[in-house]
Amino acid sequence: MGQFLQFTINGLMSGAIYALIAVGLVSVFKATRVVNFAHGYMIMFGAYFYFTFAVLVPQAAWAPEWLQSWRPEWMLAMRADLPMFSPMAAVLDWLANAPRILLGLAGALVCNAILGLVIERTLMRPLMGQSVFAMIMLTVGLISILSGLAQLIWTSDAEFVPALAPNTPIRFELFGANIFLFGTDLANMAIALVIFIGIVLMVHYTKSGVAIRATAEDQSTAYSMGISVPKVFSRAWVLASTTGAIAGAILATRNGISPALGLFGFSVLAIVLMGGLDSYLGVFIAAMAVGVLEALTQWQMGGEWAGIVPYVAVLIVILIRPHGLFGSKEIERI
Amino acid sequence: MITGELKTSYRADEQVLNNRWKRGFVVAALAGLVAIPLFGNNYIVLIACQMGIMLIAVTGVNVVIGYTGLMSLGHAAFVAIGAYATVIFHNAAGGVIPENLLTLVAIPFAVAVSALAGIIVGLPSLRVKGLYLAVATLSANFIVIFLIEEQIFAPWTGGMVGINTPAANLLGWEMESRRELFWLIAVLAVLALLAAQNLFRTRVGRAFIAIRDRDYSAEILGISLYRYKLMSFAISAAYCGLAGALFAYFYARILPEQFDLHLSLMLVAAIIVGGMGRTMGAVYGVIVIVMVPEVIKVVFGALAGGGAELAMIRAPIQEIAFGALIVGFLLFEPFGINQIIDRALRALNRWPFARG
Repeated sequence: MGQFLQFTINGLMSGAIYALIAVGLVSVFKATRVVNFAHGYMIMFGAYFYFTFAVLVPQAAWAPEWLQSWRPEWMLAMRADLPMFSPMAAVLDWLANAPRILLGLAGALVCNAILGLVIERTLMRPLMGQSVFAMIMLTVGLISILSGLAQLIWTSDAEFVPALAPNTPIRFELFGANIFLFGTDLANMAIALVIFIGIVLMVHYTKSGVAIRATAEDQSTAYSMGISVPKVFSRAWVLASTTGAIAGAILATRNGISPALGLFGFSVLAIVLMGGLDSYLGVFIAAMAVGVLEALTQWQMGGEWAGIVPYVAVLIVILIRPHGLFGSKEIERI
Repeated sequence: MITGELKTSYRADEQVLNNRWKRGFVVAALAGLVAIPLFGNNYIVLIACQMGIMLIAVTGVNVVIGYTGLMSLGHAAFVAIGAYATVIFHNAAGGVIPENLLTLVAIPFAVAVSALAGIIVGLPSLRVKGLYLAVATLSANFIVIFLIEEQIFAPWTGGMVGINTPAANLLGWEMESRRELFWLIAVLAVLALLAAQNLFRTRVGRAFIAIRDRDYSAEILGISLYRYKLMSFAISAAYCGLAGALFAYFYARILPEQFDLHLSLMLVAAIIVGGMGRTMGAVYGVIVIVMVPEVIKVVFGALAGGGAELAMIRAPIQEIAFGALIVGFLLFEPFGINQIIDRALRALNRWPFARG
């Protein structure tokens, strides 16, 4: 029972990150009817940008000392009094890294937003109004371009990147079972959930969110109501690429940076289809379910089986409910 | 449009190669094919064999994507199934069936197994289409590769480290060199192309095209979607299985990672570049997709002269060029090289009058 709870909680934490990635895919689909097969590779770019601004830039000769490691007088004084491995020491270590973490996040957000804008403007916009097939195949071509570019730009082996939050171990009891968690994982989950909820609220209540929903409903009607549809498109792409940047930073701290990060996008694609392409709620439930299922599979059958859980799950769900758990049915007229 | 072709009988109108230009082209192409193993060097034979294997698989993908309009991103799985079925059949039936006949039985066996797998993977196509089907087939690809790599099946498939493949043996003719194997690949590739061209003047092929153009309308016309979609998947998987069997004979060892997503994308890229829903499109597409990395390799070899730094960026450049081909053709010439050649031929035919 204790193991079961532990793995379920681990699963919920990775599920939250799945949800954060999925929100980008759903937003782009809602606005443009395009599913971005290269989303995983945009996340990989986010991870590499975070690595660049949080590790490479502070290491550079021209970077100020405090960027690499920020140690004001009071911190040193506090650090001296603390015993080894105390939670407070972990927090102070994290605080010393805080400047470069913030720089890394800011850099990843800005660079990935530019990347999203460039892709939307140069590749997707010319295909506006053409068949969806062409647009989707274009994102498939983008997979190779992005993965090749990443190998060209970041030839060095990826190093350790600073975690987003203090990595204090947390122990507590739940229903009589001992649960063991890391502070970073909990913080990552909180970040992912806050962003997810924020985006859902934004789409429901703000003006630009309503514009996205109107465009999703009917493009030409949205146009005639004075909504600039191209602007909605680029907004959706920026939303996807910036959430991807944060997801990339989180994944970089969890699993390290490698070109394999791009493959992660495909399992999220499977999750999105499982939940229903245009439903935030369905995608959230699917992401959490797959996260938990993966963790339980890992517990019972070993790590390698966990990798195909999303694909098996999506096949089963699609066969039973073709439009996903909560997706709206497309009505076709001849 | 080809002018000056006056047909006087239905027979002439129904021929697969229905005008003399096509017949002339096919004869010239066959002569060129025969010349390759007789006069080409080892490098040319190697590239030609790779193209032949790819061509068979791409023709299969063209049936399902180009003609039936079902989006599939998982056809590498069928190539893998064909290749592994051949090897497993050789290992299992080695003692039972005489050596001379083994290849003749193994290839149809691989094709049949792939076709069966095609029907199973095609099942979601009855419920979903478009994007959902693309992801379903993609998932199937991941699952098939995973199962091949899995420890439980390792005694048969060799697992992650791959498995050695047998040599083809046609009635006592042991095909050990690539030059010998080229004959087998070339004959099967030409037959596969002709069969595909023929398919689309039959009831089945026309049903596929009707489904592509509008599936519900096709159903109202009395075409059973259930039957023809599965048939389309089975036919294309059979083509890919044939390609897989030849793949196994051609290489000394096969690895699961050779059949991963990258191969699926290559197959789809080839028909986008060549021209979807046209038989010759597969040919042009395969030539470009196989040649572009080779040309980059040659150019880099000339530039670097063995320099390690340039050699390091060669693989990423090849990958970018591959993606750029897909993106470029989708943006600027969505109907592929076939369309460019058609346009050129039309202009030539009407010269010096109207062009275009």
